[in-house]
Amino acid sequence: MVDPLNKRDETAATLPPSPQAQSPEQKLQTMLSALWERSRHTVVERAALLQEAGKLWANDRLDETTRLRAVDSAHKLAGVLGTFGLPRGTELAREAEQVFGQPIPPSKIEIEQLLDLLAELTSMIDRGPVGPR
Amino acid sequence: MGWDRSHQSLNAAENLHTAKKRPMTRRILIIDDEDDIRQVAAMSLETIAGWDVILANSGKQGIERAGKEQPDAILLDVMMPEMDGPTTLLKLKASGQTSHIPVLLLTAKVQGPDQRRFAEMGVAAILFKPFDPLTLARQISTALGWREDG
Repeated sequence: MVDPLNKRDETAATLPPSPQAQSPEQKLQTMLSALWERSRHTVVERAALLQEAGKLWANDRLDETTRLRAVDSAHKLAGVLGTFGLPRGTELAREAEQVFGQPIPPSKIEIEQLLDLLAELTSMIDRGPVGPR
Repeated sequence: MGWDRSHQSLNAAENLHTAKKRPMTRRILIIDDEDDIRQVAAMSLETIAGWDVILANSGKQGIERAGKEQPDAILLDVMMPEMDGPTTLLKLKASGQTSHIPVLLLTAKVQGPDQRRFAEMGVAAILFKPFDPLTLARQISTALGWREDG
């Protein structure tokens, strides 16, 4: 029986050009690019959740459940973006994780900074990694 | 026939030579609830180092697979739902089947107190997210004192 968990990304593994001619590093880059495309929607959804939470906070309407989901999303983005070649994305997500994770509500200025930070993060994710890592 | 035999001998010698040069195949168990992280780490270790990779998406499944598969090392995520990394680590270390397997924690948290707590729990090393897929195998080898050529 096929173990779905251990099933590899075969699309990525068989991408041209001629994998035999590629070094292991080149093969990995090709596979990572394919995986990024496959994972992009999850990353975009997490960034969108952060932006929504930021807007709710700006209007003083952020509930505890959404705040905790924002902390979790920011944490996951911080852990993965650098691996896909977006180290600045990891920095921004870490900052967002800290802001959403603080026990006291941020000031208006901090929320404005957070919204700017999230806009930069979203824009970066939309552009995606550029060239080899 | 004589040619065949000498050819076979030559192949055997070449194979021995290649085997000496080829890095030792390691078996690594990756326990992480994040699909992306599991996939990237697996691609990295398989493609760059040629290691065998076993995957688990939860602490519970990881403990089962560690006991059954007896990997050379375990790469364990810290933040997971239900059973988190530290709890999984304690269970792995408490079992006679898995206590000998070195565990490397993979974490996006960088606070000092966490690092000290993990070290006291018997982790072999702490690796940080985001990791570099090109150097992950080297980081693991270095942390565990594995020679690059096995």
